[in-house]
Amino acid sequence: MAVNIADLDLYGVSQALETRALTSVEATDAYLARIAQFDPVLRSYITVTADMARAQAAEADAEIGRGRRRGPLHGVPIALKDLIAVAGVKMTGGSRVLADHVPARDAFVTRRLKDAGAVLLGKLAMHEFAFGRPIVDGPFPTGRNPWDIRRAPAGSSSGSAVAAAAGLCAGALGSDTGGSVRGPASMTGLVGHKPTYGLVSRSGVLPLSWSLDHVGPMTRSVWDSAVLLQAIAGADPDDTSTRGVVTQDYVAQLEDGARGRRLGLLKRYYLDYPGLSDEVRDASLTAFDVLRKEGATIEEVDAPSLDLAMAAWAPIMSEAYEYHAETLRQKPETYGEGVRTRIYLSALFTAQDVQRAQRLRARIGREVDALLSRVDALIFPGQAAPALRFEDFPSTGFAPAPIRYTAPWNLLGLPAVVAPCGFSRDGLPMSIQLVGRRFDDATVLRIARAYERVTDWHRRRPDSSRWTV
Amino acid sequence: MTTQDERRSEFDAACRIAGLTLSARDAELLYAMWLDWLPQRDRLRGAVPAPEDEPWR
Repeated sequence: MAVNIADLDLYGVSQALETRALTSVEATDAYLARIAQFDPVLRSYITVTADMARAQAAEADAEIGRGRRRGPLHGVPIALKDLIAVAGVKMTGGSRVLADHVPARDAFVTRRLKDAGAVLLGKLAMHEFAFGRPIVDGPFPTGRNPWDIRRAPAGSSSGSAVAAAAGLCAGALGSDTGGSVRGPASMTGLVGHKPTYGLVSRSGVLPLSWSLDHVGPMTRSVWDSAVLLQAIAGADPDDTSTRGVVTQDYVAQLEDGARGRRLGLLKRYYLDYPGLSDEVRDASLTAFDVLRKEGATIEEVDAPSLDLAMAAWAPIMSEAYEYHAETLRQKPETYGEGVRTRIYLSALFTAQDVQRAQRLRARIGREVDALLSRVDALIFPGQAAPALRFEDFPSTGFAPAPIRYTAPWNLLGLPAVVAPCGFSRDGLPMSIQLVGRRFDDATVLRIARAYERVTDWHRRRPDSSRWTV
Repeated sequence: MTTQDERRSEFDAACRIAGLTLSARDAELLYAMWLDWLPQRDRLRGAVPAPEDEPWR
C-alpha cells in the first residue's frame, strides 16, 4: 500500500479504491492502526467496531473484485456519532444513563450507509446527550482538538470532528441541534453540513430537541459531504419530517462555480457582533472577496428579527426536558452535572414562553424567506472565534452567545454549511458559513466548493507529532 | 428594580411549579444558569408578536 491514508480526504480514499491503489481492507486496517496509535490521546472514539469493519471491508473488496462497485462510498471507512444506532453495537449518547444500551435496529442513516457499501469503524465521542459541555474526565471525555490538544473541538459532535480532522476515519456523521455539526467542524478545519430539516431522517437517532435536530456530514472536503448527504437523504416512513422531502443530485453541480450566484451578507447580525474575533472577521472578509472574484455578487442584507433568535431557540429546547424528565426524576445522579442543569432549566420555561418562541420563530422565518427570495444564499462567518481551551468554556450558560452563528438556522431548518477559510495566529482553523433555501442544499454545497477549489485550507492537516500528553 | 431576594423567590417558585426536586448543588448551578438566561427571557417576553406570527401557517 503506497497510499498514506492520513493525508486523504474521503474523495482520495474513494478514488484509491476505484483505481485499486488501495483495498477496503487496507484502508480499514490503516485507520484502525491510526486509531490504536493516536486515539488514546485524541479520545474521539467511544466504541471501535474493528471486527465488524474488517468483515464489511472484506465483503466490499470481494464485491468490487467482482466488478461491482456500488458507488463512491463502497469500501470507504467512516464513523458515526454515538447517538446514531448501529444494530448490535453499544450506543451511549455519551452518557452513563445509556452506558450498556445496545440498539436492536440500525438507524435509517446507518442502513443507507451500509447499503452504499460504507465500512463502519465505530461510534464517536460526543457531549452527553448532545447537550452537555466539554469534559476531560469520566467514562465519556470530550475529544481533543487535533490542531491543539489543549483545546476542545467544541461540541456536541466532538468525536466526529476529531476523528475526521485527524484522519481516524474518512468522514463522519454528527448531529446538529444548535450547531453541533457546524461548531466542531469550524473548530477543526472541516466541512460541516446541517442539511435542510426533513431531508435526512432522524429515526434511530437519539433525540435532543425534535424540531431542531438534524443529522449531517463532517468531512475534509465539500465533495465528501455531498457524497455522504446523497447516501443518507430521502424519505423515511419512520420520520414524518421527511414526508415532503425534495432530494437533489448534490454532486452533479459541485463544479459549476459561483459565477452569477447572488449572496446576502448578514453584516449587522454577524460581522458587527462585538463577540466576533478580529481574526475570524478578517478571514471571512477575505473569503467573501474570493467568492466575488469567482463571480458571485454579494450584497448586505438584514433580518432584524434575528435579534430574537436566541431568545426563541432556548424555550424550544424544552423538547429536551420532555424526553429526559422521567429518567432524570428516577436517577438524576447518572447524568453529568452540565447536562442535568441544562435539562432542568428547560423545565422552567412557561407554556407562554414556548408558544411565544414558536411565534417568533415564524416571524424570523418569514423575514429570512424574503431575503432568500432575492439571493441564492446567505453568507457570514462560521463561528465567533477559534477553538477554546477546555478550561475556558463557560460553566453556567444555557445558550452561550457564540451559538448565535449556528442555532438560528436550526430554528428555521434551512441548509447550512461551514467550510474552512483560514487559520488564526495560533494555528487554529476558522470558517465561513452559507445558508440556503429549504431543500436547496445543492446550492450551498456548490458555493462552498467554488470557494474551496481556489483555496487550500481544506488540504492542511494537523501535525500528529504534537498528539502527546 | 428587582432585588436579589425577589429573584431568588421567583426562581424557587418556578422550580416548585415545575416539580423539580434538586440537591443543594444542583439548585445553585441551576440558579446561576437561570440568572444567565433572564436577559433572553426578558427579550422574549418583551417581543410583541404580530397576528401573522403564527407557527405552522
